[in-house]
Amino acid sequence: MQTFILAGGFATRLWPLTEKRAKPLLPLAGKPILSHLVLNTPADSPITVSTNAALAEGFTQWKKEQQRSDIAIVVEDTAHDDQKLGALGAVAQWVAQRNIDEDILLLTGDNYCGFNMQEFLRAARPGTAMLAAHDLGNREAAKAFGTVILGKDGRTIQAFEEKPPEPRTSLVSTGCSLLPASTIPLLVDHARHHPDNVGSIFEEFLRQGKPVDCFTFEEPWFDIGSFEAYLEATKALVGERVLIEGTASLERTQCHGAVVIGKNTHVKDCDLHNVVLFENCTIEDCVLQDCIIDNHCTLKGVDLTGKMLRAGTSLTQN
Amino acid sequence: MRYRILMILWLLSDLLLFVGTYALAYFLRVGWIFSSDFPFDKFINITVIVAPVWLLVLATTRTFALTRSQATPRNAAYITYSALVGVALFTLTYYFQYAQFFSRMLLMMAFVFSAAVVWGWHCGYSAIMRRILRKNPAVFPTLIVGVTRESGRLIERLNRSNHPLKPVAILDGRGVKDGEVHGVPVRGKLNKLEDVLEQEHITHLIQCSDLEQSLNLLSACRKRGCTYLLLPSVLGIVERDERVDTLEGQPVTIVSPKEHWWTWFFR
Repeated sequence: MQTFILAGGFATRLWPLTEKRAKPLLPLAGKPILSHLVLNTPADSPITVSTNAALAEGFTQWKKEQQRSDIAIVVEDTAHDDQKLGALGAVAQWVAQRNIDEDILLLTGDNYCGFNMQEFLRAARPGTAMLAAHDLGNREAAKAFGTVILGKDGRTIQAFEEKPPEPRTSLVSTGCSLLPASTIPLLVDHARHHPDNVGSIFEEFLRQGKPVDCFTFEEPWFDIGSFEAYLEATKALVGERVLIEGTASLERTQCHGAVVIGKNTHVKDCDLHNVVLFENCTIEDCVLQDCIIDNHCTLKGVDLTGKMLRAGTSLTQN
Repeated sequence: MRYRILMILWLLSDLLLFVGTYALAYFLRVGWIFSSDFPFDKFINITVIVAPVWLLVLATTRTFALTRSQATPRNAAYITYSALVGVALFTLTYYFQYAQFFSRMLLMMAFVFSAAVVWGWHCGYSAIMRRILRKNPAVFPTLIVGVTRESGRLIERLNRSNHPLKPVAILDGRGVKDGEVHGVPVRGKLNKLEDVLEQEHITHLIQCSDLEQSLNLLSACRKRGCTYLLLPSVLGIVERDERVDTLEGQPVTIVSPKEHWWTWFFR
């Protein structure tokens, strides 16, 4: 089995954090989102990460820091979001170029899945496509996602509904799926006409009468596509504690909620409430609430609420 | 460089005009002769001494600022005020130097001529200067952030008045379908900010929406040495009745309730 991780998006909604960094490389509770995925992926499944030319350097650097040696980075020849191949197009191109004829574990690089991937794979039936669906436990919340309608057996998928106004279920599809080798020709053919939407391949399977299984899980799942979702994921994973790197310092500072302090960041005389500070920042005499501060920022004497700050920002109140 | 040369020429021409209008007032009042009762050389010496001080006063009204429109009553008022200061300076300097008084009508004429001619010249010169500054490559390529009706109107106004700030690109935080607004291309979302700043050699950025990104836009401007401008409508101030002032030294934007016009002086 091959693992293919989609990481080619430009993540414009998370600008400026994604100005020079791909979304899967954003730190989540102390390590990149992508590292969470890779750590959960079976050791015997080689991993391919698909990205774009503009953000490739970050992945190359990330790869060097990984303990696994079976990670490959494939780079789409695109420098902007208006030129990209599309998620399914990227899978199809990789399949064609590498002559892939094995099962594919397809993961979305900006999704955090809290379940054990081995359990997911054990639940798969040979030759049957399967996708992981998270039970939000709340139909109202499901309005913002693609929902999965199960058949009477509670296992096979009957239909998909994209962001339904009145959801029939609280089960939402996630960025984790298994595509058996037998479905690859259909995937390649379908990607020619629908290169953007990964989910559409499963709809195509249903249209052609091929069963699609659903792996339902209740462990945490986050689709980190916006500032709010990113902060929410951090709060859920970090909890009411301070996650601080060894080379960082925290002096005379009150912390509430989830606080993450990256390498070489120094905080003094502050009040932090649900804050993520990336690396090499200097924060003094500040009150920060629900903020994400990128690398190399210097903040002195400022109060901020609900802000993402781009790398290198300097705000000093005289 | 283009801007610097044009600005130096502007300042020099203003000095010449100031001296010229005073000389004109002299000849119109005294007659087209060099009077021995009221010698021209004394008069012109004092005018030449006062001219740079007058120019300094004029500059403090920010009449030479890039964003200032010359053909406005407000600007005319500033120039008139400077002309008045110029006449006062001239009178005082002349009296201190020569301990003599002279024609009050001449002073009135010098005041009126210097105010009217300088304002007229400013209107004409700025029109020429704007054309030269906008010629490709524009001296002040400007990036607009936000596709809104307000930003559309601003672009139209800047283009119509040949303003030196020439909009060359637009970015929008949400992403929009429009390919261009009044001939200015929409280049995409804010993730292209660095590329656009670099490629277009942006000198000014005008934020017309995406309030939540103001800190980051400002940060990008500071890093690149660009000037950052913010439309008050981004803050919800749409009635054009705001003013920027200070409160105990702290800059503040003030919107006061509408009352009698004269309360403007005291609010």
